[in-house]
Amino acid sequence: MEKQILVGGAAGQGIAKTAFLIGKLFANSGYYVFNYRDYPSLIKGGHNFNILKISDKPVYSNENYYDVIIALNQDTIDKHEEKLNEGGFVLGDKNLKAKNLLGFDLSNIIEKLGGSQKLGNDILVGAFFKLFGLKIETVLKTVREIFKNETIEKAVKEGYDLVEQKINLPEPGKKNKFFITGNEAIASGAIVSGIDVYFAYPITPATPVLHILASKQLEHNFMVVQPENEIAVINAALGASYAGAISMVGTSGAGFSLMNEAISLQGISEIPLVLYLSQRTGPATGVPTYNSQGDLKFALNAGHGEFPRVVVAPGDSKECFYRTIESFYLSYKYRILSIILGDKHVGESNYSFDDFEEPKIKPSRFIASPAEDSKSYLITENGVSPRFVPGEKAKSRASSYEHNEYGYTTEKEEWIKKMNEKRFRKMKYIKEEINKMNPVSVYGEGNNLIIGWGSTKGSILDALKKLEDFRFLQISYLSPFPTEFVKKEIENSEELILIENNATGLLGDVIAEQTGKIIEKKILKYDARPFTSEDIIVKVKKILK
Amino acid sequence: MKVEDLDTGEKITWCPGCANFGILMSVKQAITNLVNNNKLDLNKVVGVSGVGCHDKIYDYLNLNFFHTLHGRTLPTLFGIKIGNPELTVIGFGGDGATYAEGIAHLVHSCRYNIDATFIVFNNQVFSLTTGQATPVSEKGLISPSTPLGIGEKPVNPISLTLNCGASFVARGFALDIPHLTKIIEAAIEHRGFSFIDIIEPCISYHNTTKFLREHVYKLEEANHNSANYEEAMKKAREWDYCYGENAKIPIGIFYKVEKRTYTEQWSQIRTWHKFERKTDFRKIIEKYKS
Repeated sequence: MEKQILVGGAAGQGIAKTAFLIGKLFANSGYYVFNYRDYPSLIKGGHNFNILKISDKPVYSNENYYDVIIALNQDTIDKHEEKLNEGGFVLGDKNLKAKNLLGFDLSNIIEKLGGSQKLGNDILVGAFFKLFGLKIETVLKTVREIFKNETIEKAVKEGYDLVEQKINLPEPGKKNKFFITGNEAIASGAIVSGIDVYFAYPITPATPVLHILASKQLEHNFMVVQPENEIAVINAALGASYAGAISMVGTSGAGFSLMNEAISLQGISEIPLVLYLSQRTGPATGVPTYNSQGDLKFALNAGHGEFPRVVVAPGDSKECFYRTIESFYLSYKYRILSIILGDKHVGESNYSFDDFEEPKIKPSRFIASPAEDSKSYLITENGVSPRFVPGEKAKSRASSYEHNEYGYTTEKEEWIKKMNEKRFRKMKYIKEEINKMNPVSVYGEGNNLIIGWGSTKGSILDALKKLEDFRFLQISYLSPFPTEFVKKEIENSEELILIENNATGLLGDVIAEQTGKIIEKKILKYDARPFTSEDIIVKVKKILK
Repeated sequence: MKVEDLDTGEKITWCPGCANFGILMSVKQAITNLVNNNKLDLNKVVGVSGVGCHDKIYDYLNLNFFHTLHGRTLPTLFGIKIGNPELTVIGFGGDGATYAEGIAHLVHSCRYNIDATFIVFNNQVFSLTTGQATPVSEKGLISPSTPLGIGEKPVNPISLTLNCGASFVARGFALDIPHLTKIIEAAIEHRGFSFIDIIEPCISYHNTTKFLREHVYKLEEANHNSANYEEAMKKAREWDYCYGENAKIPIGIFYKVEKRTYTEQWSQIRTWHKFERKTDFRKIIEKYKS
């Protein structure tokens, strides 16, 4: 069983919150839910909508056809009614015009309750829950938890009593599922990793991490700072990390562009840093509240000069949590930059899971106690100089200039060569570490292979259920690149199809560069919207013909 | 300790006769005096430099030191102070780095009132890149990048920082080492953002030695009240960084006031690396489950 629900209206009408309530309630009741958020860059008006997929089996993506449309205005019906499934219906005010409208006299009920127009949403979801046969006690309990508002509770109850159950859902599974976005998971992963300071400048779609962490700084004893611009953000974060704090920054493409010089500084100074890059549609301002996987090669190559880095792309919110923890571990252990390469889709969509397992990695600061003559850039076998911070007997030095082991400036050939080799030597050891962290995942069975990365995982997995003879190779670590794993999967497959949410197939380029294998067949989507599983099924079948 | 204890043994590559030697000497003397008077723990002193002639000081001071990017001394310094508020941070910048590339950071550092010292080597040209004009070059300066003469008046760093809320604003003169040493000592001792614009000639590209020597005078000898903001602002406007024959160039402490610093505001800021965290994975993640 799968049900597709669209909740739509104008910005400011509470669409996201209403959709969240629906998702949360079904997840609490034991169903799997995916919740996609679509909104233009404006504060009031326009057209916002959320799409939910509800099922008794795990689901990870949204479709663009619906069983129910909850319409808060006529615009929603005009825009989406044609995508209503057979037997589908619209829930809304009785004055709206729709072919199959289940309409209610909302103003009358609102007047009776004596509240604001926004209660209309609550009345409609009340009715919606009854139609789907959810128990009133469960409904009211969740509403109470989320809104803590008696009038809203009453409005939901009013709506609930307006209709009779219409849809029979299969038995639910394990109750009280996690219902979590990628951004929430990244913020949680940072807290679990023992973050001391988070630096960020507001930018969609990375801002939620800034908000979440800012709201939890006193509870968990860390600091959130919003400096004057992204250049200050990353330079301050490097300063804090140098001084001994566990630091992280978050941004999207435009801010990441401004951070490039300091990314290069990280490369030569070897100060640990975790960076969350939440992609949105570029170039430039692009389509700022919509999705893209357009920054893969940018993340891999950002900053002038040559230096190593870690880049990991989580495919859903659960992966966001564990990949963030891995990023902190690798950054601080190896004095390297880790980029968590997410996007708007994985960051702002809610995913549901039965459980989160305890992370194997435990937080550590990786700070050494130096002797008086310790060297900040000691040449070692694995390339990692033991990190010590200012305030000790030895002088802690960090430099943007090429340097010798003490950190003093050098232009000597010998040191330039040695330091380059030292920095790159780390990658061999990091690769050994990531080989134990599932750098790639293979789903399904079959002779043919779909290859993708990041947030397309959800729609590919949902499509895979309906595609015969296909495996899906998800590449999570992009740097260091898991060449052997990828090569092996490619060599063991007949048909190869690359799926990416960008215009040119960036992962295809990276695979070619790293493995020498060229993937000819590509399904690319570059209209700033994520794939639905239906998009993938149709296009894969077309390729096979 | 002796002043020489701050030497690193690295070869100094400033031009022979460069006024920066005066600044280096003053910094070393000020730190030594403070350490010897038990006002400073040398292990906890951190230098920060950007890129330009001034940055070479990174190699000449035996301190904890972060040599950062051009114009980015201040955000780095800000981060260091948040990363460990126990550290005494002394930042160095050039006039190009500070008043061109990084001027936004200067404005905000004054606002934040970070408890740190920031010292600008102001010779009014980009020297390491062979003498181009900076935002504090005098109007009309002919330089390789402005062969027709610069058309704008210079930024006034003293009135700018006063306007932005700096709690300690001073101007030093690189060729008056005893006077400069006292300013730097006072700046390091001051709790809050201490800004010192040090004027100096560049003997290779902007040799103003004679003029500066003839036109500077000491604020403390002119009965200046550094606790009075209006008076400080008046003195700040006395010199416009141009070379008129009647120019009077005040040096010394323009303004000094006690204000809450950035790191004092937030109780959660601490010496993080000494803080043992116990993170409860279940408690954190189960917020997203009910």
